Amino acid sequence: MFDQRFIRNFSIIAHIDHGKSTLADQLLLKSGAITQREFREQILDDLDVERERGITVKARAVAIRYTLDGQEYEINLIDTPGHVDFHYEVSRSLAACEGALLVVDAFQGVQAQTVANAYAAIGCDLEIIPVLNKIDLPVTRIPEVMEEIESVVGLDTSNALKVSAKAGIGIEDVFKAIVERIPAPKGKPDDPLRALVFDSKYDHYRGVITYIRVKEGTISKGQKIYFMKAGTAHEILEIGQFRPHMLPCEELGPGQVGYIVTGIKVLGNVHVGDTVCDYLRRPAAPLPGYEIPQQMVFCGMYPIDASDFEHLREELARMSLNDASFSFAADTSEALGFGFRCGFLGMLHMEIIQQRLEKEANVDLIQTAPNVTYQILKTNGEEVFIDNPQEVPDAGSITEFREPIAKVAFILPSDKIGAVMQMCADRRGVFVTTEFLGPQRAQLVWELPLAEIVFDMYDKLKSITQGYGTMNYEIIGYRAADLVKMDILVKGERVDALSTIVHRTSAERRGRALCKRLKEEISRHQFEIPIQAALGARIIARETISAVRKDVTAKCYGGDISRKRKLLEKQKEGKKRMKQFGSVEIPQKAFLSVLDTGNDE
Amino acid sequence: MTHMNNFQSVYIHVPFCRHRCGYCDFTLVAGRDDLIPRYLAALEREMQTYDQPVVVQTIFFGGGTPTHLPSAELKQLLKAVTTRFPLAAGGEFSIEANPLDMTDEVIEVLHSAGCNRVSLGVQSFDNKHLQTLERDHQGGEISEIVQRIRARIPNVSLDLIFGVPGQTLVDWEYDLEQALVCSPTHLSTYGLTFEEGTAFTTRKRRGQLTEIDEGLEREMYALAIKTLNKAGFEHYELSNFARHGYQCQHNLAYWNGSPYAAFGPGAASYLEGTRRTNTRSVLGYLSRMEQGASVIAEAETLEKEHAMREALYVGLRRLNGMDYTEFQQRFGVDLQEFAGETIQRLVKQGLLATDEKGIRLTGEGVFLANRVMAEFL
Ligand SMILES: Nc1nc2c(ncn2[C@@H]2O[C@H](COP(=O)(O)OP(=O)(O)OP(=O)(O)O)[C@@H](O)[C@H]2O)c(=O)[nH]1
Ligand code: SF4
Ligand SMILES: [Mg+2]
Repeated sequence: MFDQRFIRNFSIIAHIDHGKSTLADQLLLKSGAITQREFREQILDDLDVERERGITVKARAVAIRYTLDGQEYEINLIDTPGHVDFHYEVSRSLAACEGALLVVDAFQGVQAQTVANAYAAIGCDLEIIPVLNKIDLPVTRIPEVMEEIESVVGLDTSNALKVSAKAGIGIEDVFKAIVERIPAPKGKPDDPLRALVFDSKYDHYRGVITYIRVKEGTISKGQKIYFMKAGTAHEILEIGQFRPHMLPCEELGPGQVGYIVTGIKVLGNVHVGDTVCDYLRRPAAPLPGYEIPQQMVFCGMYPIDASDFEHLREELARMSLNDASFSFAADTSEALGFGFRCGFLGMLHMEIIQQRLEKEANVDLIQTAPNVTYQILKTNGEEVFIDNPQEVPDAGSITEFREPIAKVAFILPSDKIGAVMQMCADRRGVFVTTEFLGPQRAQLVWELPLAEIVFDMYDKLKSITQGYGTMNYEIIGYRAADLVKMDILVKGERVDALSTIVHRTSAERRGRALCKRLKEEISRHQFEIPIQAALGARIIARETISAVRKDVTAKCYGGDISRKRKLLEKQKEGKKRMKQFGSVEIPQKAFLSVLDTGNDE
Repeated sequence: MTHMNNFQSVYIHVPFCRHRCGYCDFTLVAGRDDLIPRYLAALEREMQTYDQPVVVQTIFFGGGTPTHLPSAELKQLLKAVTTRFPLAAGGEFSIEANPLDMTDEVIEVLHSAGCNRVSLGVQSFDNKHLQTLERDHQGGEISEIVQRIRARIPNVSLDLIFGVPGQTLVDWEYDLEQALVCSPTHLSTYGLTFEEGTAFTTRKRRGQLTEIDEGLEREMYALAIKTLNKAGFEHYELSNFARHGYQCQHNLAYWNGSPYAAFGPGAASYLEGTRRTNTRSVLGYLSRMEQGASVIAEAETLEKEHAMREALYVGLRRLNGMDYTEFQQRFGVDLQEFAGETIQRLVKQGLLATDEKGIRLTGEGVFLANRVMAEFL
């Protein structure tokens, strides 16, 4: 067992793209955990989506050995994602550490997730080391950025580190600061075992791999352990560390981070935040766990071919083996038949899952426009949560229609304050504060309906701030609002999968925009197709798709049969992704157009 | 090359025109008459793959404008082709012709080469629309030209275009009447389409040209069907009308799925179940031919299921559709078994009719033929 005085545990946290994973690369490389030959950029980002998108989605723990002044140290680092959808990965990583490296881009400075993640670390009482990264950039703002860190995050920057993770500058100083400034873990090796489950993953061969951080006591191979929250007992079949590949060992002591394999086959049976203890020698209390991540957006996924339903279920189940933060439940729609209602942490998360389904599952899907969860107080006093517009009861039985509200913090150049204020006001926001971070930058805080944020606010913010604005949000509760369910009728019939929940004041505008979009998406048929938007029985918008009168290819030139035939075959291929609704074929894309019209001004 | 000589039809593509009309996307060069000698040599070479003459039932010279060739070269071309592919007794020998090219001399050249059918590119009798279509003749000249052709070659077909920007239903009615006055044996009516890459499409995009209303276009097509039926022409294929006994045998070979050989740039052949298309670049065709390289740009051999689908796609262009016996004979498969469900659906939509003999487009189906045919693909 490693002498715990020489163990250091920390997470690397930052705003997205400020260089966490690149810094982790350097720490791995300089410590000899990987050789120059094994090296590749952002080596810990090993999921396909991570490599494709160049971002970290899942936190990664690695144990490395480093020798300073003749003493060998065991350093457990956790690289975390910066994207807001995966913020819960940061919080649970922090709970397994005594310190954090707060990486800040030396040009971009403090951004919305810098603040959010730094506060999370402060909340866990961690030693935070500010690290200014990318000092190799031709233009940096080092003094200003230091000032921002002091004023916004409230950290002393007199001994902030200045590094370039890419060029490998200042990495020795990082090791030195880790060793000297981050406290060694406490906890005694012979106390009753308490280890925090901070992550888990599914491995095709070994089943569930549980990531743990030992707080007190010792855990060893063959030991019979007990998951305090789940109330289940298992024998440890394998124990080890990530270095960065899984390397089995005999035991782990206080402060050490590693994994255990217990033969559990279903990811859902391991609860992140649970405490592992000895089956017989139980501690007085479990460790404080953490909140389960909250799903922010929901959408329907329906196989175009009804016979794919079971296949889709299997694929979704397989997907959730690797990702416990994604949920799915069987659901039916009059229009789309049998399918699933799926919940995600955010739009990026949704996009990632959907992309994987398409790539790996080979099922043609219709996805409905995503929405948030609403709360309804019914006239009978009952309170229900609704994550599917189809489930909204009649207006008559609703006393109060409530929507989730988030507190949003924006960091932006001061000259863009007006434009961002306007955007928030247009989206039914309530202003909270403005704070200047320096001469040119400010932080705005607003409370906004989640539905006005998750789908497209980030893009809008980027466009009105020319890419310089960033935002972070967290749910603060539900508030009553004048919300209504808007239905869409195609050829006089309601298509339930196109229903949405909208604010009454924007219903007409959105109804018109949606009808217009559907008119573009649905191709002409042999007959006229009216498209209407309605609140209850009241029609608020209408468009008509005219009938096709003539569609004949005049001439197959010089016996060239293939050319036109291929053209028609291609059109037909496109039709496969359509859903027959009554006599009207509605293309897959139409179901998502609900989303695009959200903020058509 | 192995000899695939079980065909009865030959198509020759002649890629020359005086000028490229604004709506035309065919394989051709305009104002490059200097290439004619190279073309004749290349074509000769392409046909040499058949070292023995093959007697055929139909020959079709299409373009471009075959009659754009000066009469000496035209004569040379016809001779080269008929030497290689002699026409069987009672066979059909068609050529596409531009009205103003039809001098007595040219008519004589055609006649003496054995040509027995002329398809005349009239397009319209209305000078305003002829101008839009960028044609070089006047409406008033046609009747006289047709009379002269008929004196030597009685079987004359006229091509007409409807749906020209600015054309009214009355204008189209006039064209049909004038065409009937010329007493052709056969008429082809083509709805003008805006093909990708044509000058018309560019102008449309810029708002300089407006496509006529789809409803009007349908009325025009309906008027043609009604008028020509009344005048004793049978609507035997989507775009074609014939007096009894004058259906174009060459085109029927296409719709019936018979094999045919084809030569020239962009020419498409169908031999032993394989569809091949030559390169659509005229210069590319010439230089490849000169280098002894292959001019085939695309080749596809359909497997049976696909071939059956294609047969329906093509065969339904014929107004008498696809007979059960024909399908059974060609594929050894029962049509209802193969496509019963699709047929049923289309019958329900009123686009397809069935009886004990087979399936065919309904009156409504004719207007929406692409949609019907696509269902079988
Ligand atoms: N010039 C320069 N670029 C850097 C440096 N460090 C990282 N980068 C670049 O910044 C980009 C983002 O780096 P990552 O390490 O993936 O950032 P991250 O913080 O892990 O991003 P997320 O995990 O998605 O939040 C990459 O293109 C890196 O090459 C640096 O020191 N200098
Ligand atoms: S004459 Fe015929 S082939 Fe030649 S350019 Fe005009 S339309 Fe095309
Ligand atoms: Mg990363």
